[in-house]
Amino acid sequence: MVQTRLGDGSTIEMTEEEIRADIERGVEDATDRANIDSLSEDEIDRLADIYTRPNKFVSVETGNELVLTFDEGSVKLKRLAVSIGRIPDLQLYERAFCSDTAEMAHIDYSYKPIKPIIAEEQIEMEQALLTTVLPVFYGAMPNLSLYSQPDGSFPNPAELLPKGKIKEAQEAYEGMVEHAISDMVFVASKMYEAGADGINFDTTGSAGEPDFLATLRATEILKEKYPDISIEMGMSGEFVLGMHGEIEYDGVNLAGLYPHEQVKLAEKAGADIFGGVVNINSSETIPWNIGRTVTMMKACAEVANIPVHANVGMGVGGVPIVETPPVDSLSRASAALAEVGKLDGL
Amino acid sequence: MSNELFKKAADAICDANVDKAEELAQTALDEGIDPLEMIEKGFTAGINEVGRLFDRGELFLPQLMGCAEAMKQGTAVLQEVAAEQGGDEAEAIKIVLGTVQGDVHDIGKGIVASILEANGIQVFDLGTDVPIEDFIAKAKEVDADIIGTSALLTTTMGENEELLSTLEEENLRDEFKVMVGGGPVTKRFAEKIGADGYAENANEAVTIIREIVG
Repeated sequence: MVQTRLGDGSTIEMTEEEIRADIERGVEDATDRANIDSLSEDEIDRLADIYTRPNKFVSVETGNELVLTFDEGSVKLKRLAVSIGRIPDLQLYERAFCSDTAEMAHIDYSYKPIKPIIAEEQIEMEQALLTTVLPVFYGAMPNLSLYSQPDGSFPNPAELLPKGKIKEAQEAYEGMVEHAISDMVFVASKMYEAGADGINFDTTGSAGEPDFLATLRATEILKEKYPDISIEMGMSGEFVLGMHGEIEYDGVNLAGLYPHEQVKLAEKAGADIFGGVVNINSSETIPWNIGRTVTMMKACAEVANIPVHANVGMGVGGVPIVETPPVDSLSRASAALAEVGKLDGL
Repeated sequence: MSNELFKKAADAICDANVDKAEELAQTALDEGIDPLEMIEKGFTAGINEVGRLFDRGELFLPQLMGCAEAMKQGTAVLQEVAAEQGGDEAEAIKIVLGTVQGDVHDIGKGIVASILEANGIQVFDLGTDVPIEDFIAKAKEVDADIIGTSALLTTTMGENEELLSTLEEENLRDEFKVMVGGGPVTKRFAEKIGADGYAENANEAVTIIREIVG
């Protein structure tokens, strides 16, 4: 018997055959949902090998190492109740965690609330850049929800839709998109001008496809304004939730797109790194979850012309939904995405 | 003949065709089909398909609302007759739903509310940042079967335990089933705190609710 886990983090024991069967079921689920190619038998064997080894920690073969980018870096240690400022936090990522890039973020982590404190953020970024050598991104979420009542001026689509006011909800979303673009471009411009090496639009699409549209258009505007700006676009879920239903970008309806489709639009908008997401089902096993994660992310990496860095952490990318991911699952997911998923980074 | 009608009813829900749903409901009654059978094999089959498509990203929220409306109007025609025939059988399950205090996440909870309503479950949506006492007061007011909570933050998940403790303290634990959900919430967490149910997504919530209310 081999020790593995459920998606909720609890440890379970399975036979090698059961693990392989669950990986196959996960692969099938991914191909069925996202309408993508299956993994080959060899690739499934490779995954089964990674998930049946007795080692606590599994890594990649030399030469298969990936670039590691971190979102929300300067906030995560604080969440673990570590008393630390943002700059020492970034230094830890650089000097202790072996990060290839780090991200400065504000605890509110949305572009809208950063706007009035932008000067403070610029100063902090300058200081961070003077005391680190790794590329420092500035990141936050588009978080379109902040633009509707009670946090914003637009009527709340979540209240309009159940009343059947679909047109009114769609109009509200369209207005919210314009405001979000304005805030994202403003904050990203200021931070880039303050010296940030890149901008991260994180958890894109969390409020549905209007959120994704705002990010794509903000990316386009920023790339036109600053051709050398580096933009990372991280997603919030494996498919884009359809909250509006009729929003298009480049002639493509954004609702319901899976990672291999999302990345093409991110590319078109000018993003430099795409952070794909595949969600965890907490009731299924980790072998099942990794089967579908690798299948979806591999399909994404195959069609991408920009680097794909999968989100790997609590509840995404084959990692259980626990606040501090267990090293057995985290290292296996990383190895699987590197060696079978053929990604560029995590 | 019935099977053909059930199929048409299911299609009417998937197509969000309110007029057609009402017309088919009336046809079923005219043909002497048991209204509850028409709801189960026709309209419910349709709304289950709607839920499946939504879960896969093949159908979107505005369309879902239209499907829910067709379900609501179609089943209303049948339920009126079912209530006359069978009394309590057609009574809807009542759930008081909300996002726990300290948490303002609304989207997922709103989707769950829509799917539950579409499945004929009566939802009393208290919104977000809901204090425990408000959940309990509303549940008592409407004589709810279930209190359903959503928590999207690891820091607010604890409110679920508080809710259960308060229900115990007020000798109300047996009055209401408690169901929990949300991003960081898992089945294991639900079992650990003694909740009656947990669902991974809105579709599963419908099944679990029917199981625990029985």
